[in-house]
Amino acid sequence: MAEIVAALATSHAPLITGRPEVSMPERRDRLYGGFHELHRRLTAARPDLIVLFVNDHIQNFPYSNMPAFCIGLAEAYDAPSPGGARLMRIPARRVRGAPEWGMALLESGLAAGFDFAYSYEIESWDELSVPLHFLTPEGQIPVAPVYTNCAAPPLPTPRRCHEVGAFVGTFIRSRPTRERVALLATGGISHWVGTPETGRINPEFDRRVLDHVARADIEPLVRLTHAEIERDGGNGGQEIRNWVALLGAVPGWKGEVLAYEPVAEWITGCATVWVHP
Amino acid sequence: MSGTSYALNKILTTVARQHVMKDALSDDDLAGHDLNDEERAALKAGDITRLYHLGANPYLIRRVFRSRFPI
Repeated sequence: MAEIVAALATSHAPLITGRPEVSMPERRDRLYGGFHELHRRLTAARPDLIVLFVNDHIQNFPYSNMPAFCIGLAEAYDAPSPGGARLMRIPARRVRGAPEWGMALLESGLAAGFDFAYSYEIESWDELSVPLHFLTPEGQIPVAPVYTNCAAPPLPTPRRCHEVGAFVGTFIRSRPTRERVALLATGGISHWVGTPETGRINPEFDRRVLDHVARADIEPLVRLTHAEIERDGGNGGQEIRNWVALLGAVPGWKGEVLAYEPVAEWITGCATVWVHP
Repeated sequence: MSGTSYALNKILTTVARQHVMKDALSDDDLAGHDLNDEERAALKAGDITRLYHLGANPYLIRRVFRSRFPI
């Protein structure tokens, strides 16, 4: 049977790679160190596939058609595109998708009452590009993204995200294959972006989230309301839905926080977390 | 956030997809979009705070009016 061989949660932000020089060097080095350690552990886990819990930033899904959950069925993803590469200052590249795997997840979900949307073409942005730049610099591991609406309210509840993640985990473990699957959630933690409070970070909220993750104490995260997250974690904090989904896929697994840095210059509370049995 | 303005988010999505940052939108940018006077004024002024309170999505505000943000 297939198995989940690694689970990782990280922040994403275009400035992490796009403006490394504006951060305090020791903060940057500690965060990059966390990414490098995740890379080392991910490589050692030898995954055949990375399932991504990520979110769009209204690059792809417009207000005329906004999915709550969408499975990527693309043959490949720009991670980043040439335009994104200029902004994020990382090499443009195409990362291979896993459309057949995604289709199997989609069909299984529809049969089980998880009515995913799907897309054959997604313009990925920092949600894939920045973490994968660190975690799969070789770019040889195919990716299967599950996009959750974290950016255009009303959003699916954290509880529903947890249920979706649990379904994905069950789906993986029920696959009659020997594939080794890594899970990667990106986003959060606190940040205010595009709002009148742009640039604010709330380390207290971030540490609370990380503490729950470290103890596999999921229920308080699952119970968070949109308003509570918006108040304490900002509109960018809504992206912890991706983390909640990942945690749903690996019940009981605990987070080891490799790095946490509230980097004001990158307007993001940035973390790298290894999630393990 | 405040209520959502589809009209604002539609025009901001259109402009964002041009991958050109703006300080303010022009009459040409606004042509053909069904906006009320308050929305038109905020877009033409590049008033990022006002746009937020009128129901524009903050990610779209930032993408279009990136130069308006101090950080």
